[in-house]
Amino acid sequence: MKTLVLGIGNPILSDDGAGIKVAHEAGGKLNDPQVTVAETSAAGLSLLDSIVGYDKVIIIDAIQTEKGRAGQIYRMGIEDFSLTKHFSSPHQINLATALELGKMLNLAMPQEITVFAVEAKDITSFSEKCTPEVEQAIPEVVKMVLQELDA
Amino acid sequence: MKRITIDPITRLEGHGKITIFLNEDGSVANTYLQIPELRGFEKFSEGRIAEDMPQITQRICGVCPEAHHMAATKALDDLFHVEPTSTAKKLRELLYSAFYVTDHTTHFYILAGPDFVMGPDAAPAERNILGVIAKVGLELGGAVINTRKQNHWIIQTVGGRPIHPCFGLPGGVSRAINEEERAKIEEIAKGSIEFAKLTLKVFDDVVLKNKTYLDMILSDTFTQKSYNMGLVDKNNKVNFYDGKVRVVGPDGKEFCKYAPREYLEHIAERVEPWTYLKFPYLKKVGWKGFVDGKDSGVYRATPLSRLNAADGMATPLAQEEYERMYSTLGGKPANYTLATHWARLIELLYAAERLLELSRDPEITSPNIRNIPTATPDEGVGIVEAPRGTLTHHYITDGKGVIKKCNLIVGTTNNHAPLFMSIKKAAKDLIKPGVKITEGLLNRIEMAWRPYDPCMSCATHALPGQLPLEVTIYDAQGNEVKKLSQGI
Repeated sequence: MKTLVLGIGNPILSDDGAGIKVAHEAGGKLNDPQVTVAETSAAGLSLLDSIVGYDKVIIIDAIQTEKGRAGQIYRMGIEDFSLTKHFSSPHQINLATALELGKMLNLAMPQEITVFAVEAKDITSFSEKCTPEVEQAIPEVVKMVLQELDA
Repeated sequence: MKRITIDPITRLEGHGKITIFLNEDGSVANTYLQIPELRGFEKFSEGRIAEDMPQITQRICGVCPEAHHMAATKALDDLFHVEPTSTAKKLRELLYSAFYVTDHTTHFYILAGPDFVMGPDAAPAERNILGVIAKVGLELGGAVINTRKQNHWIIQTVGGRPIHPCFGLPGGVSRAINEEERAKIEEIAKGSIEFAKLTLKVFDDVVLKNKTYLDMILSDTFTQKSYNMGLVDKNNKVNFYDGKVRVVGPDGKEFCKYAPREYLEHIAERVEPWTYLKFPYLKKVGWKGFVDGKDSGVYRATPLSRLNAADGMATPLAQEEYERMYSTLGGKPANYTLATHWARLIELLYAAERLLELSRDPEITSPNIRNIPTATPDEGVGIVEAPRGTLTHHYITDGKGVIKKCNLIVGTTNNHAPLFMSIKKAAKDLIKPGVKITEGLLNRIEMAWRPYDPCMSCATHALPGQLPLEVTIYDAQGNEVKKLSQGI
């Protein structure tokens, strides 16, 4: 199974780098020729470009929800964000729309997509470090990703 | 009466907020805009090596890293007092043209397209790229993906890495291209020109031939008579990569033209108590408030402004479209905000034509890609046109090239005041006593700001894809009348 582990984020915007840090650490612990580990700061349509051609994709990113606690970890499947697929962002489209678009255009879309998201505290201050709560969550997410790959 | 305070000190969520207050009679009393700004970049860059700035600053934005990369690279040329080689300049502009093709394509089909192709009253479920493609056809949908993909290949090949080029150096670039790469770029450019022409045709069929839309474009609600800013070459033609900054008034007359180093003589920033946003304005006109007109220092830096600030396009097909646009809109300058979408497509065509020109330039595969600097660095300014507006990078370093101070004015920042004014006007004109506030109406208010394509990408790619905009309306008693918050 051709698998992609994709960390999304901005490595110089504090907690927005969480996804990238997780992918980086996970990559260091992996040695499977079927698994590609990548990091990207892209979103929307460019995301589509990254995931086409893989059977299974694990995405890791930061998230901000209304009531979440910084450092909280979520595991989501595609069905969890189908509600948001109808909305577009100023520049790009969200993941769910990108997937729908891929299907519409008959691109080679992955059959399995899992998303791990970490609740971020600060995504507007420039820093190469995450906030403490998020830093602490990173090794936990790495474990979850590796478990997901074993499953 | 309930009092609601807009307190900028409260925690800014990762989305923009438009807050509208109504009078007793249901008309608009006031409108406020807050968009999140990224903070602390100056501090973050202190102590860093200036030569790293093209890599560092391109991380600021996941949508236009190439713009920051290019502005930073030009700032380094200036900082080290070195002129890039002719081939290096052409390679930079080639990469930059490919970038513009991807960016403007993405904007039109994802952002602007849905408003016009589906219409402002269409259900949110359809008002996105899926709806657009269902309407214009799968073939065109495939062409959107393909054009982006191919031009991303150009950026990766010429720039050395996907999305985040490792390319710009003071005095040149890091790699040359060979004949095989050049030939492929040429083919892609030809295809991109056809795609741009097709897209302009879609705009023509769907928007310009629709009287309702044309009326909307020409309406007073979406008109703003501000100054126009854009980079021009020595013939005063639009150029995204290099030239001088030209400012043309709402009366069509050139107000000033400056070289990058002179920017602080012309631009100042206004601070308001109700928002973190700063509002740049033309120093020599002065700040007169959030008003347009010749006597107000408010200026716009958008695709439409660029076309207004120039005397034409440097390539033939784009020039034809430029003339057609102005003849349709009644002459220059065009002060119709919604026409920004049209201007953007003319730029798309220009970028593709320019890409072709540069791919055919006899020097483009030359190995002479760098002049090594010899002077001691001190201060440098680099300006390019980012898709969203004029982008300025300014670095002050010590004698070893370590940053002491840095100042950036990003594309969107130029447009803070006009953006706010456009929203305010649309709100005032569209929300009237007795008129039911529907989602379609609120969408029309959003249409006032979408042409500016304000950059909030960094704050918004948190999952699950929140739309970073919340529009809240309060009545005269301070009760929430309506809230449109997509994705939250």
